[in-house]
Amino acid sequence: MTTIASMTNMRLKFPGVDSLLFEDFSLSIDRGEKVLILGPSGSGKSTLLQVLTGLIPHAVEVPMKADALTIPESWGFLFQDPDAQFCMPYVDEEIAFVLENLQIPREIMDHYIDHYLQQVGLKFDDTHTKIQTLSGGMKQRLAIASVLALEPEVLCLDEPTAMLDPEGTRLVWDTIKNVGEDKTVVIVEHKIEQVVDFIDRVILLDENGAIIADGPKQQVFDQHKHVLIEQGIWYPGVWEDYMQDKSRHIPPSVNTEDAKLAVHLSDFSAFRGKVKALQVKEARAYPGEWITILGENGAGKSTLLLAMMNLLKTTGTYKVLEQDYKRIKHLAEYVSFVFQNPEFQFVTNSVYEEIAFSLHLAKWEQDKITRRVNQMLKMHHLEEHQHTHPYQLSMGQKRRLSVAASIVKEQPIILLDEPTFGQDAKNTFAILEQLEQLRAQGTTIIMVTHDINIVKNFATKVWRVEYGELVKEFPAPIFVETFQPAVIS
Amino acid sequence: MPMDFSYKETWLHKINPSLKLLIMILLFIHLLMIHNTNILINYMIGMIVLYLFFTGHPWKRLLVISIPFLLIFLTSSTSMIFFGKGEITWAKWGLVHITEESFFRGLHLGFRGISFAVLGIVFALTTRPVYLFYSLMQQFKMKPKYAYSFMAAIRLIPLMIEEMQTLHYALQVRGVQGERGVKGFYKKIKSYSIPLLSQSIRRAYRIAVAMEAKRFSNRGNRTYFYQLGFSKFDVIFLCYLLVIIPLSYVTATHFPYFSITDVRYGS
Repeated sequence: MTTIASMTNMRLKFPGVDSLLFEDFSLSIDRGEKVLILGPSGSGKSTLLQVLTGLIPHAVEVPMKADALTIPESWGFLFQDPDAQFCMPYVDEEIAFVLENLQIPREIMDHYIDHYLQQVGLKFDDTHTKIQTLSGGMKQRLAIASVLALEPEVLCLDEPTAMLDPEGTRLVWDTIKNVGEDKTVVIVEHKIEQVVDFIDRVILLDENGAIIADGPKQQVFDQHKHVLIEQGIWYPGVWEDYMQDKSRHIPPSVNTEDAKLAVHLSDFSAFRGKVKALQVKEARAYPGEWITILGENGAGKSTLLLAMMNLLKTTGTYKVLEQDYKRIKHLAEYVSFVFQNPEFQFVTNSVYEEIAFSLHLAKWEQDKITRRVNQMLKMHHLEEHQHTHPYQLSMGQKRRLSVAASIVKEQPIILLDEPTFGQDAKNTFAILEQLEQLRAQGTTIIMVTHDINIVKNFATKVWRVEYGELVKEFPAPIFVETFQPAVIS
Repeated sequence: MPMDFSYKETWLHKINPSLKLLIMILLFIHLLMIHNTNILINYMIGMIVLYLFFTGHPWKRLLVISIPFLLIFLTSSTSMIFFGKGEITWAKWGLVHITEESFFRGLHLGFRGISFAVLGIVFALTTRPVYLFYSLMQQFKMKPKYAYSFMAAIRLIPLMIEEMQTLHYALQVRGVQGERGVKGFYKKIKSYSIPLLSQSIRRAYRIAVAMEAKRFSNRGNRTYFYQLGFSKFDVIFLCYLLVIIPLSYVTATHFPYFSITDVRYGS
């Protein structure tokens, strides 16, 4: 086998950081290999990919040195953010951009554009379609098409599905497997269920960017399972291991006989502009229930949450703790909301202030605030970062902060829009455990998710949303028995 | 929040964008040199005809866009009418002093404001930024580095609008109540701009890396997906102007609306 990419004794340091990210790092990849790079966040996986392709130091200026460095002659790079890899507004223009860079004559561009779109399974009536109107999964497949236009020998994939829903994830990986068959593929990913049968070699990094293990996948998985667990990697079977550990497989049942209703929706509709985006005939939630809202993309799950937060125009009955929502002056006193992107929730300049924010608004006394905030900081493992700006936290820390800041007032109802989205296994379990604690104290949890494992192991009830309508309420175990696993993922 | 901004393509869309830009700049300069209100009115009508009938946008949108025009007209003309210098007094209330000269000069300024606005908006409504930059690269040898940076930046705008909506929801959810006054406005600006900017800077950086990953470089040779040249529509546009401008001079001389031919004070 011939080596297609390699580095010997590579050293790399980010400006402003004291220690080297990589120190005497050596790696070699052969033609045709399918390599998966695993490691905790901050271990330099993405950086490594960028060094392998020469993006560092040519495009991204980071001090880097190596005794020897072989960069593949032709490579393509797929990034994780679907919105941050296009520079043109239309599908055809985007692929044409690559063709222009390669100086392909104009006359044969149309032919190539059709060819590459076909390879990734995208069909348009007119290729002059706005990229903005595509779903995340389609955007990523378009990105693959424009990468293929480079005719690369090596494909580098940097968590290409981190921001996609399960359906998009599946389609993107199917496409990659399809087009990557005869290529060398290097993947960085922490959700490995989809890729595990495609790859043949695994490189496991520790948090200092050193190689812990490098070898055939089965060998690495068998010998280093504890590392995978510790690093929060989504290896196959992670849920089973987790639930075994917890020995708490029984989804809790809730006595709803004489309980007060937490949420009651009836003949309820929500509007986006003038269009009716969602309707609910009848739905109820009780204290201590954990409700998961399931449905296809665009079915109206997020709309339902926004409507319940009174952010959209609505009609019909919506009662919160048996009071009409219109009578409630500050709905935020009763209902809290956790957004999918934690950053959009931050309104202050430090972690401490962020948690204290709603308490200040509610005019709590100063020492009461201090006590409560410190308690929350401790609970969410954020004490060390209390003076940090929220944007400087890691993904997992941001998520924990957004949850902490939302629930600090102990509202009886929490709405969450895919809070575990894009999180590693460790963070996911931490969030879920925390919510479970709140639920056990009587909080009502209403959560949009795509993860059937959450339904199976944590939820008490399922609201199924289809085509803009809440079609049915199921007790969670019944839903799991009837539908699993075909419907959701 | 998808925005519909569809339109019919007309001959104005098919003019070479660089040429259109150049002509617009020349027209702007020329406008500054017209001091006869009669000429200016005819001139303005000629431009408004382009705006109303040849931009290919629906009536409703055109009407909405023209609301600020009226505002421009009112503000720029009234300040001159009320406070401008002049000899023949029409009315006087304290600071306000309306004279015949200031009245016509005010009108003139208002019409000029409208003409500027109409020309600008006609250009904006009939020119796709992508075509403009391709044309600038091809006709004016603009460096691809700048052209593509602009195009990528324009792509970020709709994303930012979407993010603003989300941010608006998020602030509401946190129980942020809008404060009134300057301080409230300052707070609002701060709470919106910092997250939006930080997100955009990160995006811009990522797009830049992605562009290099797609082998974008500053080397001169590249082929173009859109080849923009010149066509009969450029000739039509030039002819239209060559008819309208002399015509506005001729009719202004023979059929004037007002007897004043130069609105400048002291002439």
